[in-house]
Amino acid sequence: MKKPIFILTIMVVTIIALSAVRVVISNSISTSGIALDKIDQALSFYKTQNIILRERLLSITSLEHISSRASEMGFVESKSSISLNKPLPLAIKQ
Amino acid sequence: MIWRYRLILILLMLAFAAILLRLFYWQVVRSSDLSLLGQTQYERSLQITPERGDIKTSDNFPVVTNKISYLAFVNPKQIKDKKKTSIFLSSKLGVKEALVSSQLSLDKFWVPLKTGLSVKEKEEIENLNVPGVGLEETYTRFYPEASLSAHLLGFVGKDDLGKDKGYFGLEGYYDRLLRGKESIRTQIFDALGRPILQETSSNIKNSKGNSLLLNIDRTVQFIVERHLKEGVEKYNASEGMVGVMDPKTGNILALASFPSFSPSNYRQYNEDLYKNPFISNLYEPGSTFKPLIMSAALDGGVVAPQTKCNICDKPVSIGGYELHTWNDKYYKNTNMVEVIQHSDNIGMVFVGQRLGIDKMLSYLGKFGIGSLTGIDLQGEVSQSVPQKNVWYAVDIATRAFGQGISITPIELLVAFSSIANKGTRMEPHVVNSVETQDGQILKIAPRESGRVISEKTAKVMTEILVNAVNKGEAAWVRLKGYRIAGKTGTASIPIKGHYDPEKTVASFIGFAPADNPKFVMLVIFDKPTTSIYGSETAAPVFFKIAKEILLYYGIPPAGE
Repeated sequence: MKKPIFILTIMVVTIIALSAVRVVISNSISTSGIALDKIDQALSFYKTQNIILRERLLSITSLEHISSRASEMGFVESKSSISLNKPLPLAIKQ
Repeated sequence: MIWRYRLILILLMLAFAAILLRLFYWQVVRSSDLSLLGQTQYERSLQITPERGDIKTSDNFPVVTNKISYLAFVNPKQIKDKKKTSIFLSSKLGVKEALVSSQLSLDKFWVPLKTGLSVKEKEEIENLNVPGVGLEETYTRFYPEASLSAHLLGFVGKDDLGKDKGYFGLEGYYDRLLRGKESIRTQIFDALGRPILQETSSNIKNSKGNSLLLNIDRTVQFIVERHLKEGVEKYNASEGMVGVMDPKTGNILALASFPSFSPSNYRQYNEDLYKNPFISNLYEPGSTFKPLIMSAALDGGVVAPQTKCNICDKPVSIGGYELHTWNDKYYKNTNMVEVIQHSDNIGMVFVGQRLGIDKMLSYLGKFGIGSLTGIDLQGEVSQSVPQKNVWYAVDIATRAFGQGISITPIELLVAFSSIANKGTRMEPHVVNSVETQDGQILKIAPRESGRVISEKTAKVMTEILVNAVNKGEAAWVRLKGYRIAGKTGTASIPIKGHYDPEKTVASFIGFAPADNPKFVMLVIFDKPTTSIYGSETAAPVFFKIAKEILLYYGIPPAGE
């Protein structure tokens, strides 16, 4: 008669233990929302920073900006071009 | 006793039936209402406004992208001293006091005050700590190249519901692709209103619009816009426009018009400026139309390059009208090469008469004159060529030299490109490919619109146009060392049934290098005042731009 009592006790204890674990895990996960909120905020902050930096980068790499900066720095447009359109003779018959 | 048991049984059954009915009412009839009520207690739905897709030039540089801006809003119910707050907020936000005051007087929980605030402005507002005033992050369009290619791009405004919508140009034509799909994100909260960890909706990752990769070459566009602006100012024209196209593919390399507008501040400009005149304005092309008619006549076998014009020694009278050449100079027994070289109107009357209405109509149709080119921009128009039964005798004469027929600049550019592309007309395309958010690239392949003239005719016509550049009216500005095919145009403007002698549309169309064309370009100045002629206004600008494009492409001079 002792064995069934022992088995039943183990089963009851196991059920209680598992229930307790479940309660603890559920509680800890359910409050992870605070952490999630913080992660969301950090993500949003970095995303915003990336977009702002990208905006600055695109502004300074635009042709409009480069052109105006070049003229401010004294660069002038090349009006002439040099091209070799006929091959030079290797030897000229005298 | 039995009747008592029976009575109790019946009462119990009635009670169960009542409970069943009540349960049916709550769980079936009102189930959806209760479900919604429950959801509102622990769920909040956030509408995710999609970020609009980018528009990039052929070098992958985004000429239109998004930047973060802020919307300042207020809850009027939290404002105690509305007058004092109105004065304070209007000075800080730069909005009229009356507008802020009217917004604060509304019986609402949320009213907008100002949109498009920068990060710096947002921080300034936050530091004020005004109760009831809040800031919301939004995306607005950002143009790194400022107003470069504004007509081509269009702009983003608001629709009837206050949502972003693209108008004109690419923003208008590709609005649905660029704007993406709106999605809903659901967040579950606990009893204290804290968010609970859960899987987010699966469609959020697709909430950004598709991006467009253009055929537009940013450098070519920049060169074109700079010279066009200089030209409009130098020749004191009311308007100027330039289109550059690759004749082999139909790719639009640059498209510019001046005066233009700034897409980021489009409201500050007159609405008439929003339209892209290159695709929306009809005009009589004048002499730039002559190569099309001459090509048709050569291809139809009604004339040959050496055919002599036997009516070119004096003005001609047709249907009660006397037709002259542009400079009142007449050349006896001139041939077809010289007709184009001298831009001889009487020579073109001779060609038109040889061609006849039927053949002229047939070739104009093949060139795409009178129909939409199919360019992927919003706002293209076209005017049908009049049917045969409404043509008078003088019409065939005047249309042969480009008067009495209205077309758009894009129609002429595409039709003329057929000569450069060995007689085959291509459909013009601004967009090269669409980039989806999954990283897929959907390429838009070049499309042939059909053969217009034979390859042989195209070659002959090219030589005639090279001769026109080297010996014609614009020879003084030509690029030495390069073989360029082209034609000047000085078209009269019809006003109230007659042509104004003082106002013209000056233009130049051509392609280079003539033997293996990399681009076809059309330059137009509307009503230039320093000179009314295309050879003195549009042609110099054409060759200035052509020189820089040839250098940019690394094409050396190859002799004339």
